[in-house]
Amino acid sequence: MTATIQLRGVSKFFGNIIALKDISFEAHKGEVTALLGDNGAGKSTLIKCLSGVHVPDEGEIIIEGKPVKFSSPRQAAAAGIGTVYQDLALQPLMSVSRNFFLGREINKGFFLDLDRMSKITRQEMAKLGIDVADPNQPIGTLSGGQRQTLAISRAIYFGAKVLILDEPTSALGQKQQLEVLRTINEVRNRKDIAIIFITHNDLHARLIGDRFTFLNRGRILADGGRSDMNTENLRSLMAGGAELAELEAELKN
Amino acid sequence: MEDERLRKVSSLQSFISRPELGSVFGLAIIVVTFMTLTSISGTFSAMWTNPIGIQAWVELAAFVGILAIGASLLMIAGEFDLSMGANIALAGHSFALLLTFGVPVVPAILITFIELAILGFIMGTIVVRTGLPSFIVTLGFWFASRGFAVFLSQTLVNQSRLSVKPYLKPPAGGGEDPTLIDNIFAFDKAFGLPFDAEVYYFVILVIITAFMLHRTRYGNWIYAAGGDAQAARAVGVPVNRVKISLFMISTCLACLLGVLTVMTSGASDPKAGDFRELHAIAAAVIGGCALMGGYGSVIGAVLGALIFAIASRGINFVPFIDNNLFRVMLGMMVLGAALLNQFLRNRVLRG
Repeated sequence: MTATIQLRGVSKFFGNIIALKDISFEAHKGEVTALLGDNGAGKSTLIKCLSGVHVPDEGEIIIEGKPVKFSSPRQAAAAGIGTVYQDLALQPLMSVSRNFFLGREINKGFFLDLDRMSKITRQEMAKLGIDVADPNQPIGTLSGGQRQTLAISRAIYFGAKVLILDEPTSALGQKQQLEVLRTINEVRNRKDIAIIFITHNDLHARLIGDRFTFLNRGRILADGGRSDMNTENLRSLMAGGAELAELEAELKN
Repeated sequence: MEDERLRKVSSLQSFISRPELGSVFGLAIIVVTFMTLTSISGTFSAMWTNPIGIQAWVELAAFVGILAIGASLLMIAGEFDLSMGANIALAGHSFALLLTFGVPVVPAILITFIELAILGFIMGTIVVRTGLPSFIVTLGFWFASRGFAVFLSQTLVNQSRLSVKPYLKPPAGGGEDPTLIDNIFAFDKAFGLPFDAEVYYFVILVIITAFMLHRTRYGNWIYAAGGDAQAARAVGVPVNRVKISLFMISTCLACLLGVLTVMTSGASDPKAGDFRELHAIAAAVIGGCALMGGYGSVIGAVLGALIFAIASRGINFVPFIDNNLFRVMLGMMVLGAALLNQFLRNRVLRG
């Protein structure tokens, strides 16, 4: 099976700083590829390369077998990259359906087709397990998890083949984190979207991930499928293995 | 769409979320208050049934209301235009000067509108390119516009108040009749309509802008530009272009009032529109616009303008209350409205 998105030897430099070096990984549709790493590991730079904010200095990005080059987020979006950033790009005082269609409104003649936009919003949210009784209510009335779902279903509706989720659980409470994981599972069950799930929470990665890639200081530290990873393995990779052992030794003294 | 696995999202009583809710109550209170006060002082019919009495507050509401349309649109997009009142004088002087130099009425009006649109473009561009607060940028133009208007007319024709009566009268020997043109822009007298032309322009503009704001893509973008500009840009909303266009709408509304004032009064006045920008902003705030942007409505600004005008004119019909108290009352009203609207807005956000 061809990977939906594949990276081959991607590097990114900022002056003399090596932000990413020789990154290769792939994501398949119907799978969650968990991208793990501590702060400063290069996760954000990698997302920005994927979503057209940065242009990689080396290597190539391949979507469904074809090499692509993005010079703007708009191009990446047109090629099927849907990025859901941590801040979600939502308008707190605007209604659910207006947020869903902001920048890509549906017109009927000269005016907005509000009924159709509401109907589609409700349908698309329901597909991910959230019933929005009134799509005209302000988004401020939704929970953090529901907002995340809105941003995800918006990305999918507007043609995302690759869904990049930037730390979707990190700013949420325990219960809402699970709600988001459930949403991610719903997206996976569609079988037509490759999900790249960026996180530093090993528990969440283990719950939902099918493949794992670990970044450390701009390089890939390890990668593998579900069977290659056990909890202990994951945890020690997250903490940086040797460093954790060192700390353990220090604390014992 | 019945599915037990779906989690329900509570629906909100929609009326609570309307920005103009506060100003509906405000208007009701003001009308009842002044009906009571005028009844006590025996001037009820003079203010509420006499055509001249009604004209007094309706025309003021329209004048302030036209500016308040621009003020509310800008405020929803998170910006201000303090130069509105001064631009009324600038437009009036430009129009009168062009007539003085022999330009016919219609081209003079068009040129004036183009000038003011360019001014709006310049102000908007400075705001979005430099990132300076529009409060500061338009404060600069608040000084500059009026100063430049008076400077121009004094330098060029050595007068600060230009009479245009000779240019608007029909020529003696027939030929092209300028009153026809006059009729197009200040048509009330020609058709024997009860109110000044401002009132009809106001009604038409309110209908157009209210539809534009709530039912078009551009309106959606205005809210988004003032709500969270970064988030709006992320989904492809041209925030800068939206803001610049709103500054142009604001200067063109001032231009409309400037030209109409000259046509109705027959002269340009360097003090035309003095303080009107503050009245318009007060109307927008009373009408529920959030000072930080992202929230508000044109209808609210209309109600705000009506509240302002009824209170402003009504005080003259109530002899036992000192006129100066009006300013005190207006100030308290702006504060009270801002507080009430903030409270209502927080209800919307919390759900």
